[in-house]
Amino acid sequence: MYKALVCCRAGMGSSMLLKIKADQVISENDFPIQTEHGNLDSLNGFTGDLVITMEDLSNELQGKVPYALGIRNIMDKDEMKAKIQEFLDSKK
Amino acid sequence: MLKDLTSEKLIRLNIHARDWQDAIRQAAQPLVDHNKISISYVEDIIAGVIENGPYIVITKHVALPHARAEAGAKENAIGIATLSQPVAFGNEANDPVKYLFCLSATDNSRHLSALAELANLFEDKEFFKLLDTTKNKKDIIQYIKDKEEQ
Repeated sequence: MYKALVCCRAGMGSSMLLKIKADQVISENDFPIQTEHGNLDSLNGFTGDLVITMEDLSNELQGKVPYALGIRNIMDKDEMKAKIQEFLDSKK
Repeated sequence: MLKDLTSEKLIRLNIHARDWQDAIRQAAQPLVDHNKISISYVEDIIAGVIENGPYIVITKHVALPHARAEAGAKENAIGIATLSQPVAFGNEANDPVKYLFCLSATDNSRHLSALAELANLFEDKEFFKLLDTTKNKKDIIQYIKDKEEQ
């Protein structure tokens, strides 16, 4: 089971929506990922495998976290699914 | 529930906005007027976008203006605004923005069920059609209530 942190800059709002949609996609596809929700401060000392966030922020996080996954359109489940699949493939 | 966080007085339809900052200010104004957020909260939303990019544009044509609770969220609330002319926020994937859902959240957990409902509404084409066509704010509140009862 992989551990993902879902976050946005403000720590509320968009990241909560993002977590709701990510959890839907994860459960629909039986992805072995557990999500928790946080803000940018949660990144300090983050020990999980994956950070799910909006794309602008994910670009900044590249290289600072084990894996940064950036979403452009929160409501687009196909985008979310493809990007999570990409993460899982990178673990193989 | 979403219906507990929004109301007719927090809705503004067919705003004429000069640009994205004006759109955010006008969409947030009812929340300021009804003591849900402070002016500093609105300025923090705008400063956040200037500093960090248009991350509040979350899906096609939809922005969710919000800031950190510390910036001046007084009470959990969600405002609904539509623009007569969509404006660009600088978000390549989802521009231009026509609908703004201004969010005030004083804590992380209590508004979660309302956000889940909002996520469902964002997938509902009928809802956006209603926002485009109705002149009556009551219709929007009624639609949200009806959807909750389904």
